[in-house]
Amino acid sequence: MTVLGKRIARGVEFAALTLPAVAAIVVVVMVPFGMSVVNSFMKWNGLDKKPVFIGLANYVELFTDDPNLIAALIFTLFFTVAMVVLTNVIALLLALALNQPLRGRNLLRAAFYVPNIISLIVIGYIWRFIFSKGFDSMYAATGFAPLNLSWLGDPKLAFASTVFVSVWQAVGFYLVIYIAGLQTIPYDIVEAATLDGAGPIRRFFDVTLPLLMPSVTVAVFYSLSNALKTFDVIFSLTYGGPGTATTSIALDIYKTAFSDSRFGYGMAKSVVLFLLILVVGLLQIGFFKKREVES
Amino acid sequence: MKRSLLALAIFAIALGGAAAQGKTVTVLFYSPELTQQYDDMAAEYQKESGNKLDLTVLQADYPTVLRARLNSGDIPDVFMSSAYADNDTYKDYVYDLSNEPFIKDMVPTALTGVTVNGRVIGYPFLVQSHSFIYNKKVFRDAGITKLPTTLKELEAVCVQLQSKGIQPFATGFKEWWVLPQTAWQALAPLPASYKGDYSTFVADLNSGKLKFKNIKEMGQVFDLLDLIKKYGGNKPMESDFNDQCASLATGKVAMIHQGNWAEDTIMKTNPNAEIGYLVGPVGNEAAKSGIMFDSNQTIRVAKDGKNRQAALDWLNWLTTSAYGKAWIPTMIKQMSPIKGAVAPAAQLAKETSAMIAKGVPSYSWYYQRFPSGLEQGLGIVLQGYCAGQTDRARTLDALDQTYAKIAKAAD
Repeated sequence: MTVLGKRIARGVEFAALTLPAVAAIVVVVMVPFGMSVVNSFMKWNGLDKKPVFIGLANYVELFTDDPNLIAALIFTLFFTVAMVVLTNVIALLLALALNQPLRGRNLLRAAFYVPNIISLIVIGYIWRFIFSKGFDSMYAATGFAPLNLSWLGDPKLAFASTVFVSVWQAVGFYLVIYIAGLQTIPYDIVEAATLDGAGPIRRFFDVTLPLLMPSVTVAVFYSLSNALKTFDVIFSLTYGGPGTATTSIALDIYKTAFSDSRFGYGMAKSVVLFLLILVVGLLQIGFFKKREVES
Repeated sequence: MKRSLLALAIFAIALGGAAAQGKTVTVLFYSPELTQQYDDMAAEYQKESGNKLDLTVLQADYPTVLRARLNSGDIPDVFMSSAYADNDTYKDYVYDLSNEPFIKDMVPTALTGVTVNGRVIGYPFLVQSHSFIYNKKVFRDAGITKLPTTLKELEAVCVQLQSKGIQPFATGFKEWWVLPQTAWQALAPLPASYKGDYSTFVADLNSGKLKFKNIKEMGQVFDLLDLIKKYGGNKPMESDFNDQCASLATGKVAMIHQGNWAEDTIMKTNPNAEIGYLVGPVGNEAAKSGIMFDSNQTIRVAKDGKNRQAALDWLNWLTTSAYGKAWIPTMIKQMSPIKGAVAPAAQLAKETSAMIAKGVPSYSWYYQRFPSGLEQGLGIVLQGYCAGQTDRARTLDALDQTYAKIAKAAD
């Protein structure tokens, strides 16, 4: 067989094997995305038989005349920073602790992972009950002052509540990533550092963490893009309330489309959200990749 | 071979049996608290006519699912919606019922919300009222003998209740829909210049000629919300519908703002609860305080439904048969828009009829005329005010902004 013939044969083989996956992604992700972009230039209320083409009007309105979107953006950014930092720091500390030879270590690892298996909507409703009725009963029984605060009713406390529930649910997943990452670090390097006189803090920051950077890159990227898209927890815990105090961008898009009946405008917002996540994600990966170290 | 023949035979008989039955009308409703009553009615209808009702009952997801089904072609033969503004929302999908025989059996006032340009495009389902519901026993025990009719009197009642250690209100402020129904009642008589003409009022709001920040009566609305929040316990923003009904039923609170649809839930919690209506204060003008009374929940027949005639036959049965006429008053225990229907054995329904007979003002649910989507949009702005997110001036601006955006998008 000629070299070109071999190349073509290999190309065809490649295409044939990847075709099912590519077809699935194109049909389920690419085509709806394309339709979203097209519809973002239209005005449609979800019921009229024909959408009306209005050019860039949706995008202009989005950038100049939507205080609710600005408020949602600010909330989402604060929420994302809090979520990413807290989730990763807590997951990393737990991974370090649960990598030590402890008794009941597997049980603890499972215990921290279980919240991640439960659907976010269910978790939202459970915590909603705990924060309101549960805390009422606990306060009546113990008189512990923080239980009497309005965790879902006060705008500032509601922010803390949503961050808490999100972190509680997410930690398990990143714990798994970090434990796996820690286990790839060859013990002899750490041992060498100990013999050279490095204390535990120095060992962690100069040896463990640089070698863990690939895991950190993945975990931070994933938690970042999830936090920017956060919807389920807020929908079931507070529905963006009270008022618009805990409305994230994704919830704002949902309300624009399904409550205000402005589907074209909602699609324009979701295209902008996509671009935001893309840019932030690429910047973040670029920054972290430079700090990775091969062992 | 024998076994598969047997299976085939059974299958054919079953199919034949199914084909011999009547038609199936697909129905998409909300108000899941009425699911039992819907099922009982469907079973009775099947017994009497042979036609089947394929019921799907939703709540929070209802508008989204309805929209998705109307768009995708899976059109339900019968669906439910609000009256007034929803006439416009679903105008391309509803069937004109003006010439149907059963329309003449409906009370004419109930048809105002579903009539557009002389055409009746909806079937009024329930007639409902809402205002402040109070627990009569709690009031008696606290020594309150005169029911309040103004904001000042309501505040005095709250002070008296609190001095007896009773929480005056369960606010319900966690639900965005409790805010509009509470707030708009305080504006129901409308600024004097409109003389109660809701169409012009809403048209002026739609065109931008009138803005909320220029309606000085909005002050009364805010005063009322402030009052409810002040006397609504220490977690006013966390009270939802269930909390309201349970607290009122057990006597933990004295008053809630809800409607006669809440009575069933309240009585289930405490079958001995004695409840009644207080008029909604309009500032300090006692003569204008009244209750909100209208037919808003509407049944609509899809123009392009596959079993449209079967759906119309069902509505005819619902309006004219003995079971159908008694269904709403005796089984749903709410007021029926059918002429000559009996009054339900429900305290709030009785109280509504008594108050109207006495001449207490009864206002239509005019806020349902706001363009679709505004009930939630404005409700959330008011919720933000109650949570302390915005002060009065910023809230009024937010109301105007939200209204302008959605009104513009709706036309």
